[in-house]
Amino acid sequence: MSLSHFIAQWQLPEQGRYLYATLVVLGASVLILGLAPVLQSLPPRGRRALIVTVTFLAGLFFAAEFFLPIDWTAVFPKDDPTRNFLTPAIQPAQNVLQIIGALALGLGTYGLVRLHLRNVVQKRTQWGYSVVLLVAFVTMATFSILNTLSEKQLVTKTPLLETVFSILFDYTLVQLDAAMFSLIAFYIFSAAYRAFRIRSVEASILMFTAMVVMIGVVPLGAYISYTVLGLPQGPAPENADWWTRFLHSAGLPTIAHWILTALNAPAQRAIEFGVGIGGLAMAIRLWLSLERGVT
Amino acid sequence: MQTQTIWQRMLSIDRRLLYLLLFVNIVVFLLAPIRMPASISPPVQKFYDEIEKLKPGDLVMISSNWSASTLAENQPQLEAVLIHLMRKKARFTFISIEAQSRDISYRLARRVTETTGYEYGKDWAHFGFVPNLTVAIKGMVNDLPSTIKQDVRGTPISQLEVVKGVKSLGQYKMIIDVTPSGTVPIWISYSPKGIPILYCPTSVMAAEAYTYLDSGQIKGMITGAKGAQEYEQLLHIKGLGAPFANAISFSHVLIILFILLGNLAMFMNRVQARREA
Repeated sequence: MSLSHFIAQWQLPEQGRYLYATLVVLGASVLILGLAPVLQSLPPRGRRALIVTVTFLAGLFFAAEFFLPIDWTAVFPKDDPTRNFLTPAIQPAQNVLQIIGALALGLGTYGLVRLHLRNVVQKRTQWGYSVVLLVAFVTMATFSILNTLSEKQLVTKTPLLETVFSILFDYTLVQLDAAMFSLIAFYIFSAAYRAFRIRSVEASILMFTAMVVMIGVVPLGAYISYTVLGLPQGPAPENADWWTRFLHSAGLPTIAHWILTALNAPAQRAIEFGVGIGGLAMAIRLWLSLERGVT
Repeated sequence: MQTQTIWQRMLSIDRRLLYLLLFVNIVVFLLAPIRMPASISPPVQKFYDEIEKLKPGDLVMISSNWSASTLAENQPQLEAVLIHLMRKKARFTFISIEAQSRDISYRLARRVTETTGYEYGKDWAHFGFVPNLTVAIKGMVNDLPSTIKQDVRGTPISQLEVVKGVKSLGQYKMIIDVTPSGTVPIWISYSPKGIPILYCPTSVMAAEAYTYLDSGQIKGMITGAKGAQEYEQLLHIKGLGAPFANAISFSHVLIILFILLGNLAMFMNRVQARREA
């Protein structure tokens, strides 16, 4: 897709399309950049009132859209009976959220670059790491943007670009990210060895249950139960005696599944009810700007 | 200086030794050609049966929200699911909630579909990423084309054959959430009723999902890498799930062994202290 096709999607007037496109981008930038000093110049009380109002109205909109009944044709005869009159505004709200998200990303990027540039310029402690960060940031961003543009056919996709992006993304970023996360396994192992001590009846039950689940959910549990011990697999026949039924349910995978569904699920449900109620209370506090630090 | 007993030494073991043991254990069992057949767990069987119900041409929404950190669990899941969907000749579209998930799932799907002749735009597409899943689902339920607008390649979705005539998420036949985070309750809450939701969480997230399985709000679940191994077994394919599950199996054994050893050392140490007292 060419740049002209890309701009054509904005449905601007045919004559002077590029001028309009430039004006739209410049106008939006001026508006956004101009908004920040205006907000900054407001007195704290005025700023707080503005934030409280916007937060309340936004929350009210989403709550009202969700809870209002769908058929409003009695009031608005031309309206779609499968949705209420606020539903069409969901899409513009999504666009606003995307813009706010992009602005937050831009703000975060600005803050990060500023901080590390200052580290380098003032040669603060470990400023070398800041150099690495800045170089990595610029390189990754450049090739990511070029790759995205080439996917959209706005720049030519060359083999060099593809190779460099693949090295940076597939063979560097992805691998580093995966390696970082995998370190948790080592900490868990060390922590389990040091902290998992049988000091009470409860701790013994917990440890025994954990061991059964840990072995029961992995292929080794099935191997021990059905190959080494020779226990019968699957549900017992309907007319089987109690011993056969017992053997059919004595496999580690069956016991682990029973623990997960019969013991874990009800406990999880209770926790989720609690979390849900807590989340509701927190949402109301945020909506009404009662939470500290919101404004 | 008083010499330490073996139990005292075990209690103060250097953590670097533990790290090394786990590392060797993972590498050895990842590469060792030992393959233990998995017992197919009911949630995985349900997942498989649900996809088996799809008819050729049915449209499936895949919400792929994992990034590199959970690659070891989510990649084998997604690969196996894609292979099954392609066998059923189902069409599918992707959506993600952040940039890295978008890039990873798009590149993975491109690689997997290349081998089967699935054509981008005609048989599958990627909608890119949306910053707010709740609002995006609500938008897609009401008006999918104006919510998504264009795919990851910048093509207007009105020009994508795979979603030709699709106005709402309600026209999809299935939703599959491949994720390490709590996105499945959002799909359950806001997606149209009657569309089966299938779930591919990481192992650590699976425990929370049994409540949704019980209630039928999700129809099946592939739990982490070991679930992927079970799924590969059902599909009779060799994927990443089997070696990963193998390494996990023996890591669990090692952890259990060391927990028992730690407790034994603590117990013996106490006995010795009592004797000395």
